[in-house]
Amino acid sequence: MAIHTPPPVLEVRNVSVRFGGVAALTDVSMAVWPGEVVALVGDNGAGKSTLVKTISGIQQPDAGEILVAGRAHAMKGPQDAAAAGIQTVYQDLALCDNLDTVQNLFLGREICLPWWKGRRMDRARMEKRAREVLSDLDVKIRDTRVPSSSLSGGQRQSVAICRSILANPQVVLLDEPTAALGVAQRKQVLALIERLKAQGRAVVIISHDIGDVQQIADRVVVLRLGRKVAEVTRGGYSRDELIAAMTGALDAAELAALRKELAHG
Amino acid sequence: MADLSSDPKALSGRTGFSRMNRHDLMTALATRWRMVPVLIALALIWTYFSWANPLFISPRNLSNLSLQIVVTAIVALGLMFVLVVGEIDLSVAASGAVSAAISAGLAVNAGVDIGIAILVGLGVGAGIGALQGVIVTWFRAPAFIVTLGMSLILQGILLDLLPEGTNLISLVGTPLGKVATLYLSPGMGIALLVAMTALYGFLSWQSWRANHQQALGGSLLREVLLPTAAIAIAGAAAVAVFNAYRGVPGLVAFLLVLLAAFSYVTTQTRFGLYLYAVGANAEAARRAGISVPLVRIAAFTLTGLFAALGGMIAAGRVLGVSPDSADTTLLLEAIAAAVIGGVSLFGGRGSVWAALIGALVIGSVSNGMLLINASTQTRLEVQGAILTLAVVLDALLSRRGGAR
Ligand SMILES: Nc1ncnc2c1ncn2[C@@H]1O[C@H](COP(=O)(O)OP(=O)(O)OP(=O)(O)O)[C@@H](O)[C@H]1O
Ligand SMILES: [Mg+2]
Repeated sequence: MAIHTPPPVLEVRNVSVRFGGVAALTDVSMAVWPGEVVALVGDNGAGKSTLVKTISGIQQPDAGEILVAGRAHAMKGPQDAAAAGIQTVYQDLALCDNLDTVQNLFLGREICLPWWKGRRMDRARMEKRAREVLSDLDVKIRDTRVPSSSLSGGQRQSVAICRSILANPQVVLLDEPTAALGVAQRKQVLALIERLKAQGRAVVIISHDIGDVQQIADRVVVLRLGRKVAEVTRGGYSRDELIAAMTGALDAAELAALRKELAHG
Repeated sequence: MADLSSDPKALSGRTGFSRMNRHDLMTALATRWRMVPVLIALALIWTYFSWANPLFISPRNLSNLSLQIVVTAIVALGLMFVLVVGEIDLSVAASGAVSAAISAGLAVNAGVDIGIAILVGLGVGAGIGALQGVIVTWFRAPAFIVTLGMSLILQGILLDLLPEGTNLISLVGTPLGKVATLYLSPGMGIALLVAMTALYGFLSWQSWRANHQQALGGSLLREVLLPTAAIAIAGAAAVAVFNAYRGVPGLVAFLLVLLAAFSYVTTQTRFGLYLYAVGANAEAARRAGISVPLVRIAAFTLTGLFAALGGMIAAGRVLGVSPDSADTTLLLEAIAAAVIGGVSLFGGRGSVWAALIGALVIGSVSNGMLLINASTQTRLEVQGAILTLAVVLDALLSRRGGAR
C-alpha cells in the first residue's frame, strides 16, 4: 500500500453486523482514497447494501468502526454521516415525480428569503446553484422546471447523484446506480461517476454488472456471505475470476493465488 | 469517456419525436395546464345554460350562484390539503357541523362574545383534524376508515349538542346569521380587485427581478405583465357583474382572499412544497430530512380548520344548526369539487384554485338545472357523469405522470 501515502478518506475497520441469527457482515475492512472509485460486488444477500447502510449511518455496526479522514466517527444516523462528508444515493432514487429538477435537488434544504420578505423560497438562487452543479457534472437537462416524471431514467439517476453533490461530500456511496438503465443512460451515469472522481471525491459503488465494474472501478471488493473474500485492483483480475470469487466457485488455492495477486497489485 | 452529447435521446429526443411530444403534452396537462380542460368544461356548461335560459347569466343569478358555492369551495380547499399528501378526510361535513354547533351554542345560548365563539369553533375543527392526523400517522390506520368512524362519532356528538326537542340552534337575528347578506360597496369591490392584482403583480415582478439578478433570464411580458393583466381583466369582469347587482358578496370576497393566501402558502413556502413532496414520495421526503408525520398532521389540521369554517358559513346561510348540517351532500360535493378542479386522488397534485373552479362547475350545474326546470334525477346524473369524467382524467394523467 505504499502508493497511497495520504490517509484514506474513508476506512471501515473490522465491521460486523448481525440481524438476529444472520451474520450480514463479518469482520469486514476496507479503505477508500480521494479520487478513487471502489466497487462492492457480491451475490444477492452478500451484505453489500448492509455495508453501505453502515457507512451512511443507517445501520449501527455490532463491532468495528468507521473512520473518516483518519478519525473514528460514531454515526447514529444519516445526518451524522452527512456532517462527516458522506452522501448516499439509494437504489430506489428517492426523487419526487411531481417536483421539478430544482425542487428535487434542494428538497429539505431550500433557500428561503427572510421573514420580512414573506419567507418565500428563493427560487432564483436555487435555480442558479442547480444549474452550476448540473453543468459542473455535465448533466444535460433541457428544462429544469418540468416535473421529474418527464425525465429519462439516466437523467433521474443523474439528478439523484447531483442532489448528493450539493452538500459537497468527500465520499459518495451509490447503491446500484446503473440497475434498470438502458445502454445509453448507463453510459451517462458512468461518465458522471468519472467526473465525481475527477473532482477528487471518493466513490463507493455497488454493482451487479461486471462490465461496469471493469470499466469504472479502480479497486473491487468482493463480499460473499458477509465476508470480504477478495480485493483486486484495476487490470489485476479477469471477469471469470471475479465471478468465481463472488459465487464461491473458486477453490481455496485459486483464491490464495488471487489474494497474492492482490497483495502485489 | 462517454460523452453525453453523443447520446441523442438525452438532448432533444430526435428519435420518436411525436411520441415525446405527446408525453410532454400529457405532462403539461397534468401540471401547468391542468386547469385548461376544467375551464373549457365550465365555459361549455355556462354557454349551454345561458342558451337554455338567459336568466342564468343575469348578474343576480351569477351573484347568487357565487354565494351558493362558497361553502363547497371552502371545504374543498380544506380537502385539498389531505388529498395532496395522499390521504382523505370523510368527516369534514360532520366536523363542520359540530364546530358550528359549538360556536352557535356558545354565542346564542351561552352569550359568549361572537368572535370568541367563532375562534373556539375553529379550534375544535382544527383539533378534530389534528386528532385524525395523529391517529392516521401514528397507528398507520387507513384514513378512509378512521375519518369515516370519526364522522359517525361526530354525527352523534352533534345530536348531543343540539337542544332536545327542537334539535335546532337558530341563528336568526345573530351576527352569524347575517354573513350571507353582506355585500361590499361598489368602491370596496374595486379596491379589493386593485389590491389583489397589485399584490400578484408585485410578487411576480419580484421573482422576475430575482431571476434577472441571477442572470437566469425570463421575459417580463410573459412572466409578469400578461398574467397580471389576465387577472385584472377577469377580476374586472367579475366585479362589474357583482356591482351590477348588489356588489361583491362579502363571503365571496372572503373566499377569494383565503384562496389567494393559501395559494401563496402552497406555491411559495417550504411547507407548501413539503405537502406535495410527501404526497408524491413520502420515503424520498423522509430521506430529505422532512418530518413526514408532522406534514401529514398539519394537512389534516388545515382540513379540519376549513371544515369548521365551512360549517359555520353554512349555518349562517341557512340560519341555524340542525342534524341536517352534517348532511353528507356537502362532503360529496366538496370531494367532487376538488377532484373536478384537478386535485389528484393519488396524492401530490392539485392547486388551491381547484376548489374554486371545481365548486363553480358543481354549483353551475345545480343552479342551471334548477333554472331550466330539470328533474333531480337529471341533475344527479349530469353531476355524476362530470365527476366520473374528472376521475378518469385524473387516473389517466396520474398514470402518465408516474410512468417513469
Ligand atoms: N433489516 C434486516 N433484517 C434482517 N436481515 C437483514 C436485514 N437487512 C439485510 N438482512 C440480511 O443480511 C444479508 C445481507 O443483505 P444485503 O441487503 O446487505 O445484501 P446485498 O449484498 O445488498 O444483496 P442484493 O444484491 O440482493 O442487494 C441478507 O441475508 C439479508 O437477508
Ligand atoms: Mg442490495
